[in-house]
Amino acid sequence: MSAVPETLPALAERADAAYLDFVEGFREYILGKGADFEDRLNEALLAEQVRRGQPWGDVEQIREYVHSLPLGRLRDRLSRTQQEMKWFALRRSFEAQRAELLAELERYDTRGPGRLELDPNFVHPPYVNVHFHLQPGGYYKDALSGYLYHYGTKVFFRGDNDHDELHSKLVARVPAPADGRVERILDLACSIGQSSTAFRRRFPNADVTGIDYSAPMLRVAHRRAVMLGDEVTFAQRLIEKTGYAEGQFDITFAFIVFHELPLRIIHETVREAARVTRRGGIFAIYDFTGTRDKSPYQRYHRWFDARHNGEPYSQDFCDCDMNAILADHGFEVAAASVGQRSGGAGYMTHWFATRV
Amino acid sequence: MSELTQQTPEGGTPIAGENPVYLKDPVLDATVRMVVELAAQVWIERERRITLESLLEAQGTLSRAAIESFKPDAAQAAALKRERARFIEDVFKELRRIPPTA
Repeated sequence: MSAVPETLPALAERADAAYLDFVEGFREYILGKGADFEDRLNEALLAEQVRRGQPWGDVEQIREYVHSLPLGRLRDRLSRTQQEMKWFALRRSFEAQRAELLAELERYDTRGPGRLELDPNFVHPPYVNVHFHLQPGGYYKDALSGYLYHYGTKVFFRGDNDHDELHSKLVARVPAPADGRVERILDLACSIGQSSTAFRRRFPNADVTGIDYSAPMLRVAHRRAVMLGDEVTFAQRLIEKTGYAEGQFDITFAFIVFHELPLRIIHETVREAARVTRRGGIFAIYDFTGTRDKSPYQRYHRWFDARHNGEPYSQDFCDCDMNAILADHGFEVAAASVGQRSGGAGYMTHWFATRV
Repeated sequence: MSELTQQTPEGGTPIAGENPVYLKDPVLDATVRMVVELAAQVWIERERRITLESLLEAQGTLSRAAIESFKPDAAQAAALKRERARFIEDVFKELRRIPPTA
């Protein structure tokens, strides 16, 4: 038995867990070597490139070719289907126990350690009204959005993050400021707080604050942190306008946030991070690998994910020059190495930037 | 459109609608979805059967013959019928997503 408390919300029935277990396995199969879509379609794209005698141009050209292949169209159908099945099952299971789940959140809202700061007058900007990853109601419109997200990402990570293993690993890689001082940490768009608690464990004497626009996410974040015994403050604030004092944080962190922001907000968020991070402090970002490092298949996948998986801003993010944006706002970026995987660059990369 | 289903992205890539068609024919899309759904339902049953058999065997409470000769009473039969309806709905709900004109 695991020593880590189980923070995943309980499903209504054993059959729901088995259904989602299937979706998790099926997802692994179609994304991995089982169906082997990625390598086979990438090889087809590379061969076609040779046949045409020139590199692929814009993504529309790649899309047209992939859609001319039955395998490409089936890959799209199955990718969309597994995502729809996940939300269908989760929604039904949580709907069946809505009252109990809400009562549980209420029980935790005022408990410690740590605290929950919700803003009753909070106004959601229109750009956040997107059903990211097809999550019904997006990140904030259902009071159970945080629970949906938690179980949804458990399936997304295919069992590799059931006890925040991924978040812990990525947080561990963030460099501390050169002077070693880490008293205050800000986790931008913390969702259900998995990075926030990982930071608190890495720096047990630091004040850790996670902010997000979604109250349902923050409530689940707080519940999780209480269950884990981690003292973290979770506050409902906009990442592009945090309201915190200048130079207040030694480390500012953003895990897979920027690809869910319009370009305008990407610039505003980096400007805000530069304002609240002290000189010599670190701004650490993990997000999608840029278009120029992607294989043709990965470029196609980005288009598909943007259009068919509720990621409308991700293409613009992958096309933008994050290094330049960070430099423009007063950050010095350590060269980020792009991890390699079969078929091309890794899906995720990092920017570890120092506030100068 | 309800508040829960409405989206207002600020630019970016246009989001596909609720029920995109990927294959040559919406009937094919529905067929693929039903096949995957069936696989999920089969796995649910298999997982439950493995669990049950393991428990029953460990407790020594039931023989295979008892399972084979089981006859549901009226209440059990009604419950089974409800389960059957849910199973059919899960798998074949895709039929409602085929547009009348494509």
